[in-house]
Amino acid sequence: MVNGFPVATDRLYHPATHMWVAISGGIARIGLDALGIETSGALAQLSVPAPGAEVTAGRPFGQLEAAKFVGPLVSPVSGTLVAVNEAVLADPGLAERDPYGAGWLAEVALAEPDGARPGLLAGREEITRWFAAAVDDYRARGVLAE
Amino acid sequence: MTVQLPILDDRAGQARTSPEHVRISMASAIALRMRSGRFSRDFDFGGINLLLSYDEGCLSDCGYCGLARTRPGAYGDKSFIRVEWPLVRTDDLVARMAEHEATLTRLCISMVTHGHAYRDTCDITRRITAAVRTPLSILVAPPTLSRRRLETFKALGVDMIGIGLDAVTEQLFRSLRTDVPAGGLKWEKYWEVIGDAREIFGPWKVNVHTLVGLGETDRDLVEIFLALRDRQVFSYLFCFNPEPGSRLAARPKSALTRWRRMQLARHLIEAEGYGAERFEFDQAGTLVRLRADRAAVAAVAGQGVAFMTNGCPGGDGQPGCTRPYGSYRPSEPFRDYPFPPAAGDLRDIGAQLRLESLVP
Repeated sequence: MVNGFPVATDRLYHPATHMWVAISGGIARIGLDALGIETSGALAQLSVPAPGAEVTAGRPFGQLEAAKFVGPLVSPVSGTLVAVNEAVLADPGLAERDPYGAGWLAEVALAEPDGARPGLLAGREEITRWFAAAVDDYRARGVLAE
Repeated sequence: MTVQLPILDDRAGQARTSPEHVRISMASAIALRMRSGRFSRDFDFGGINLLLSYDEGCLSDCGYCGLARTRPGAYGDKSFIRVEWPLVRTDDLVARMAEHEATLTRLCISMVTHGHAYRDTCDITRRITAAVRTPLSILVAPPTLSRRRLETFKALGVDMIGIGLDAVTEQLFRSLRTDVPAGGLKWEKYWEVIGDAREIFGPWKVNVHTLVGLGETDRDLVEIFLALRDRQVFSYLFCFNPEPGSRLAARPKSALTRWRRMQLARHLIEAEGYGAERFEFDQAGTLVRLRADRAAVAAVAGQGVAFMTNGCPGGDGQPGCTRPYGSYRPSEPFRDYPFPPAAGDLRDIGAQLRLESLVP
């Protein structure tokens, strides 16, 4: 837990979009971190394209809709969607309850499995430092319940 | 996740009913930081909406309402205006409102049709006015009221009264609110309360909610806008938004062009003094022509005010109750804007309004 929110430090993060990436064997599993979900409000719908779609790092590939908010889901990596988590699409609350596990969004076959990952944070120290600052920022902006 | 102590799990255990507990809109919960979240567009929001809560729910059965008595599901699971309304302790809420008073613009208690609603509304009103100076409205449940009870609301510090007529003709009202499985609401009673409230609270201190999309014609709407304006009563326009599970769940929303034209008509009547002679309808009652100078109408539309949420004002006279995303999902086009429309919004509105075919 960092400032009251869980964060998994065994993966990469795109700080601006709160997307996490867990890479294994050329496949990247991606999802939203707990803070990204919490600050959106009560989730109503998650939309992602069907497997086969091409995704590009830094570009929208889906949409998150909450009670009073809608925003793009931005891919942290480039490649081809090979799986989407139908369970979380049917029940977006799954992402709220288990953001780093059963609440994953999609799996991407990486265009460059061994390429560099610019813009992604890695390592416990770097991740927790960023995450703590992000929680403080959201609190200062009045987005988090208190 | 964040601790959310003030929010209660209302699906478990003991009854938590008004006056000790109330529901609040999700936007209110976010504004008071009782729930995490944000709005898609960044704007100041301070209109707090409260809703009475009872185990038996609302005893009315309106065909379009999420709280309707015969809509399937337990009351605690029902949505109102499509989204969850968190249940909170009234005293926690009042304390939170006092803490955030500087950012609040308007408070409103929505009654429901229930035998204890009047008594509990008075109780909650006393708690609020003892702690918070933000102006307070009540959206009343006419079957629970009398003239004396309206006078009591005023004496307690309420400055505006809303009446949710919703269906704008007697026939439509009867079909949706009276002659329904557990209905019985009386058109005459609603108008009696409108009249009494107007006399007690004064000009432009009473508003009547009118819904677009229940089956009425444009002519029906324009006629009621004119009638209310002539009585110095506001018409607050709402867009029908189908509630899943309600009897009108399959009914589509009105087309955006019709909605925009009704917003504009209401504004032209209320703010610009337009009379009945300005509006021309076809045989079906659809507004087909506005007898006016197109440049003048375009100038009014271009100000954007006509397309903002109709709600009670704040202490400074500016819109105070703005109900963001109240009748549309965040992913859908805005119906009413909870802030002054920006340049891009005005372009969208212009395309939806199609003024050139309405004002040749």
